[in-house]
Amino acid sequence: MRDLMPLAMVGPGCTVQIACVRGGMRLQRRLADMGLTPGVVVSVLNSQMPGPVILNLRGSRLALGHGMTMRILVRTV
Amino acid sequence: MVVALAGNPNSGKTTVFNNLTGARQHVGNWPGVTVEKKEGICRWKGRSIRIVDLPGVYSLTAYSPDEVIARNFIVEEKPDAVVDVVDASNLERNLYLVVQLLEMGAPLVVALNMMDEADSRGYRIDVERLSQLIRAPVVPMEANRNRGTQGLLDEIAKVTDKEIRIPELIVNYGREVEEEITKLESRISSAGDLAKRYPPRWLAVKLLEKDQQIVEVLKAVEGG
Repeated sequence: MRDLMPLAMVGPGCTVQIACVRGGMRLQRRLADMGLTPGVVVSVLNSQMPGPVILNLRGSRLALGHGMTMRILVRTV
Repeated sequence: MVVALAGNPNSGKTTVFNNLTGARQHVGNWPGVTVEKKEGICRWKGRSIRIVDLPGVYSLTAYSPDEVIARNFIVEEKPDAVVDVVDASNLERNLYLVVQLLEMGAPLVVALNMMDEADSRGYRIDVERLSQLIRAPVVPMEANRNRGTQGLLDEIAKVTDKEIRIPELIVNYGREVEEEITKLESRISSAGDLAKRYPPRWLAVKLLEKDQQIVEVLKAVEGG
């Protein structure tokens, strides 16, 4: 867990790899349904407050609330 | 004859619906335009086909009311064909719903929409190969220019006339999960008309996922 950080801490323009989702089965399942699975590489397009964190994920954009991005752990690539 | 239109949000379902029915349902370039199911009639070659436009969903879990509406319609009303409108420029994400529909054993036709957009991104999609891999018809379309509608209707007719049968896709979930699926499946199959209402394997997988809505359905059947 040493080199992991919450997705919320990643600045715009950075590319990271999803490590895991700290949450219940519902959240994990939902995010997996949207294509956010462990191992997938995403880039952060916008993370300015207020407003959602916008990711480029598998060729499409995904907007997530800041609270949710605190529960998604990533590693730098 | 009933044909359901399914697909991810913003994949062009409502545009396909309008092309088929001649309706002028509101089309918006944002996800979630279709919140309830809409219906229209398509008259084609002397047939009268009821077209049901389902809400756009990413998956068929019971996460949101939209997903429950879409899923229940397909599982319980058993339409004669299900058209999954797929955004060709975003194939990877869209194929997830395709797989879920195939796992349900839905009589599937894939409308590979936004081919122009895929082209302009430099994607070359081997439509025939895709169709072989998923073992269901795939029709390239540009619904915003009303291209591909006739081809889509031809494939829909083949499926509704039972000229082609779409095989249920069996995803192997690994030995441990498969053992439990087999146990549940045999119990479901011997539980009266339950197996007629739901595909047994699909129901077993949903139970293992602790799908809340399916658990409720089963409680009602068992009478508590």
